[in-house]
Amino acid sequence: MQQYISMDEYALCIMILLFIFVNALSIFHKRKKAQLIISTTFLAVITVLAIVLLESNTYDIFAANLLNIYPFSMFFVALFSVGLIMVNIISYRYSKDYFAFSLLLGFVAFGMYSVAMAYSLIEIVLGIELVSLPTAFMIMVNGKENIEAAVKLFILSAIGITVLAFALVLLFPFDPQLSLTSISSMTGYLPVLALLLVIAGLAFEASIFPFNLWVPDVYSGAPANITAMLAGINKKVAFVALFEILFITMIPFSAAFSSMFQVLAVFTMFFGNIVALVQDNVKRLFAYSSISQAGYIAIGIAAATAYGVESSIFQIAAHLFMIIGTFAIILWLETKNIKTVQDYLGLSSRNRFAAFALTIFMLSMIGVPPLMGFVGKFLLFTSAINQGLLYLTLIAIINSFISIYYYARVMMSIYSKRPHEKVSMDWSIATVSLISLIVVILFGLYPQPFISIASTVSMSL
Amino acid sequence: MIPIIGIMLLLLSIGLAVTIVFNEKYSKVISTVVSLIVMELAILLLYVFLAGAAGSPGSISENYMYYISNFGISLNFVVNPVSLALILMASVVSFVTMLSGNVENENLKVSSILVLLFELAAIGLFASGNLFIFFIFWDVGVVALFFMIYLLGSANRRMAAIKFIMYELLASLLLLFAIMLIYFNTPLHSFDISYITANYSSIPVGTQALIFSLFFFAFLINMPVFPVHLWLPDAHTEASTQGSMLLSGVLTKFGGYGMILAFIMLPIANEFTPVIAILAGFSAFYAAFVLMTQHDIKRIIAYTTIVEMSIVLVGISAFSTLGIMGATYAMLAHGFAISMLFLVSGTIGYMFSDRDIRSVKGVVRNSISTAYTFLTGVFATTGVPLTAAFVGDVLIFIAAIQKFSLYGAIPLFSIMLMGAFLYYVVNKSILSTKDASKPVEYVGTSQRVGFSILLFFIFLFGVLPFIALSIFSNFSI
Repeated sequence: MQQYISMDEYALCIMILLFIFVNALSIFHKRKKAQLIISTTFLAVITVLAIVLLESNTYDIFAANLLNIYPFSMFFVALFSVGLIMVNIISYRYSKDYFAFSLLLGFVAFGMYSVAMAYSLIEIVLGIELVSLPTAFMIMVNGKENIEAAVKLFILSAIGITVLAFALVLLFPFDPQLSLTSISSMTGYLPVLALLLVIAGLAFEASIFPFNLWVPDVYSGAPANITAMLAGINKKVAFVALFEILFITMIPFSAAFSSMFQVLAVFTMFFGNIVALVQDNVKRLFAYSSISQAGYIAIGIAAATAYGVESSIFQIAAHLFMIIGTFAIILWLETKNIKTVQDYLGLSSRNRFAAFALTIFMLSMIGVPPLMGFVGKFLLFTSAINQGLLYLTLIAIINSFISIYYYARVMMSIYSKRPHEKVSMDWSIATVSLISLIVVILFGLYPQPFISIASTVSMSL
Repeated sequence: MIPIIGIMLLLLSIGLAVTIVFNEKYSKVISTVVSLIVMELAILLLYVFLAGAAGSPGSISENYMYYISNFGISLNFVVNPVSLALILMASVVSFVTMLSGNVENENLKVSSILVLLFELAAIGLFASGNLFIFFIFWDVGVVALFFMIYLLGSANRRMAAIKFIMYELLASLLLLFAIMLIYFNTPLHSFDISYITANYSSIPVGTQALIFSLFFFAFLINMPVFPVHLWLPDAHTEASTQGSMLLSGVLTKFGGYGMILAFIMLPIANEFTPVIAILAGFSAFYAAFVLMTQHDIKRIIAYTTIVEMSIVLVGISAFSTLGIMGATYAMLAHGFAISMLFLVSGTIGYMFSDRDIRSVKGVVRNSISTAYTFLTGVFATTGVPLTAAFVGDVLIFIAAIQKFSLYGAIPLFSIMLMGAFLYYVVNKSILSTKDASKPVEYVGTSQRVGFSILLFFIFLFGVLPFIALSIFSNFSI
């Protein structure tokens, strides 16, 4: 459907390319503040352009069959850009080598955009690779103590990508172009094997059980600004890839992957929540909590309907804001050497805003109305019930119940009466957590606009 | 017509925002004024309802913006007789809590914010015409009280707060599951309570029973009744005076109101009524016996809540117009009486820095108003004639005898047991003048004003029961 291509689309592509270029330049000019302003501006412009294209409901294939512009891709371009803006802002102060970070951020961003706008399966694999390998280097440039986490991430994402690439090889006979369209004449066991391998490969990135054993080590070993990106954005990229491959290419097998994801969702939720119960390190606790959140998101895939995807998309956006806000505060507290649940005792007397924001994020993760996390969970549960997956909803509800305990533990230590000196928060952390807080509360109180966007997005898939 | 519920909720939200912004000095004044206006609006609501009840079916409904439109969830409020009585009670109790509950005058800002938040949740919940909105306000109320226990409570508040939140959120998750099941089993996929009431028969019988049992356990935890009551004594003992007043006075009514809704929505409940009544009766006796082994005044009063709410459940399980009326009236009366008792015991605890009935003696020597308010509170809990609880108990037991023949009257003895022990407490501790304990502090004026407001309502609905009963003139199930 080649039609007249609007200025916005040109502008978007040019902006994305320019963004990588200016970020690469940062290691030469070495001006920290200028670099922050430039990259934030570019990301903001990309966000605005993507939202414009999303609102105008454009369907186009652009740049030599490379970039697929439709509401689904535009939504995620916008969402990832907002996430990257937030990660960029918190990394400004707390990254050891901000210029190297900036350079790598360009690659990561391009990887994310190419997954979101993928036209072929190859692009998805390359995009995933571009997202995860630079992330490993981002961890590494922060110093020797992070090398273990970096190597773990590097090796495991390499394995994941290999498995994914092998899946594509198996699909090659059915569609030599490997384009992201429904492959109709799939027979035999090869496509089923490919489906399994796709799920396995992407489950590494999406931290779905049993491929998530690296997650807690890497999340707690990496500096918290990178952890925010890993949990907030990188994981979501894998989910986007899953949506694209499963709901476009593999749609004839929807019954098969639905039942697979039911099992995976159940195990992921239980694993994340039960192990989180005994964690003492707050960063590790939130690593496990984000695993369990991946389990909730997987419920939407298990429902295997447009409505299920819609609710997954909502929950993805909700979790992105919640977890980046949370890790921003954790990052700031880590520099003050406040790491374990015991160290959090009396946090409210140190900084009232940090205590309040963390509490709201945790309540949202539990799913307490009227916050964004609740709306997401509600949509997911209803999508499962709608497909007759009553037991899955029941298990998810039991899991929400288990999760109350460890969140409540942190909340209680935050608000225990333990007088401390006041500590003021610097502007970057305050900005990021305030943005997340406003989004979580606003779209919790009035989720309708966001839900209708998610619905358009899932319909366009 | 004036959208009174909308104005009440808007006013409370504005008050909440203003209290958060302003500093500690003004927070109590602002929030007291806001809750006073809300109380007056609730009385206006009663007037409007009574004025309309003669000709119309006797319900007020208001509809606002959509929350999630693909589910047809809007902010829609319906006031029926049951909810009207409870809105009135909740607004009065919240006002008194705000005015005089903070006996120590500490943490004014935090307590004002939390009381207003809880009042918002309570009024929204009782007025909701939609199960989804009901659920949202339920959780807001629970979270507000969790922080109330945890931030303002006494020494062992940590364990009490975590017990409270675990039990209550378990209830809310069961509730969520039940309302989602209802949604997908009604023909037009709706959360609307009146629609569900009209179309319950299209839900398969097995599913109806499943949904009802989910509702039942959720509300049983909240009420609370015997096997799932364990959070209550700790939460009440450890919470601040304000926290206990709201917990017992208003939060337990969430469960009672929900139980009435569940019975009305799903008449399949009728098949379970004997079991429910036996459970409720057992719970009443159990709590009355456990009550006798306690020494802490607050803990004793906490157990009377279990007895009273079990009696309310007996009334609901009779499942007749009279039974529901009685249960509503008993909840109304209990809300006033129990919050007054907690206010008094908080005052006593503040005066003597001690709440043990073995060591606190001769309250009457030091503060006549406190001592006699406690005595009146005991009257009002045990259902002495001319107090509001009497009317409620009479209605409940008439309904229970109609339904279960004379067996229905058995739970009455648990009230007698409870009363006997409460009079023993009054005699031994409050009124005994032998070696009276020395007070550390003295009772303030705001507490006396609070006593008198609650006493006024207790006797108003006891002496003139027709005020509350006339709202039921068009009510039948």
